[in-house]
Amino acid sequence: MTSRGRFDWLIAIAMTCALLTGRVEDARADGVEPEAAAALKRMTSHLGSLQSFSMQTASTLEVVLNSGQKIQFTAAARNVVRRPDRLWSERVGDVISQTFYYNGRTLTIFNPADGYYATVSAPGNIDAMLDFARDTLDVIAPAGDLIASDAYERLMMDATSGFVVGKSVVDGVRCDHLAFRAGAVDWQIWIEEGARPLPRKYVITTLDVAQAPQFELVISNWDTGATPADRVFEFTPPAGARSVEFLPASGGQR
Amino acid sequence: MTTLPKYLVGGALLVALLGAEVSPRSTLPLRWMPEALAVVGAPLTPASYAGVARRTTRRTVAVAGSVAAAEQADAEKAAAAQQSATAQQQSATAQQQSATAQQQSATAQQQAAAAQPKSAAPPAAAGQALPIGTVVTALPPGCTQTQVGGVQYSHCGADYYRAAFQGSNLVYVTAQP
Repeated sequence: MTSRGRFDWLIAIAMTCALLTGRVEDARADGVEPEAAAALKRMTSHLGSLQSFSMQTASTLEVVLNSGQKIQFTAAARNVVRRPDRLWSERVGDVISQTFYYNGRTLTIFNPADGYYATVSAPGNIDAMLDFARDTLDVIAPAGDLIASDAYERLMMDATSGFVVGKSVVDGVRCDHLAFRAGAVDWQIWIEEGARPLPRKYVITTLDVAQAPQFELVISNWDTGATPADRVFEFTPPAGARSVEFLPASGGQR
Repeated sequence: MTTLPKYLVGGALLVALLGAEVSPRSTLPLRWMPEALAVVGAPLTPASYAGVARRTTRRTVAVAGSVAAAEQADAEKAAAAQQSATAQQQSATAQQQSATAQQQSATAQQQAAAAQPKSAAPPAAAGQALPIGTVVTALPPGCTQTQVGGVQYSHCGADYYRAAFQGSNLVYVTAQP
């Protein structure tokens, strides 16, 4: 028993050393495996080269209650993008419904249920608009990072490690599964295998919040041949709709 | 407790293009929630994490959705947010070290969240108006709609509220018509 126990223990140490050695070497090489970086770059380059496209998304957002209990919210959305300066997104659900319009000049959020909408001037391209929406309006599109023209740089900004997990299947589509770490955020992405390297799933884990809540996005129904007309991105207030303002982003100095 | 999902309905208003909003920085509209159920946190994106980390103040969603907390004065709200932001900064730093530290982080955040309702002002006495600019995620009962200068207000007791978007959530702000 004693010798057997010690033997197991030695094996455990040996295996740990092997694992650690591998990881230490990775860390020396910037922590991001070249294969993982290349696969991500392939996706962002491909998506960045598409002038217009549409897709559907299903998201799950976890919030953590004071008790430590985690609660998930799910939502589905249809999205249309036309580079460099058009974006439309409609979230539908039993509880909420909200439509987002960006026409290159203004950004509008509209709640069809109660008729409230807010329109503000916005920067002239999708990248700058996403930053503006996040920093000035507190309107955050987690997957906006994926569609930005500099998506690779955004995603990899603070990456400390990255590796190819392996092959996976999302919604019946074979994918390459990658995992990265950046500061207090771990994230994973599933990229369609083959000639059409599109993101199929995206998971973000936030480590410095109690219980490490996650955001998950599954992307389906990619249409990369879509040629949406201008009117898709124009908001026309329906009769009875009421215009309200955006409050300044809280804190002011963020 | 059994009606928790109803309290959380407002939280589903978190919205943004391409998916749910991930905004630990803005108020989650968890209506009429018992204080014990205050939301501690929600995920960040890699890019928004990077952006937030570079800023000096990282806010949390340590938001008390109870009526009392919703009615707290802005100054106190800011002070509480500051406290909890500080706690989270510390916890975030500590967390990076080890799993043990992460546990502390959780504790620190829960303390921060727990501390906030205590610093909330007592609910305004009946008939006494709230400070202008107070943001609530749900209107109190018994409001009437009124138009002043083309702007729609909800008149509730001594207060007038106008609707606004805070992030992508619809909120109500006390105003002077």
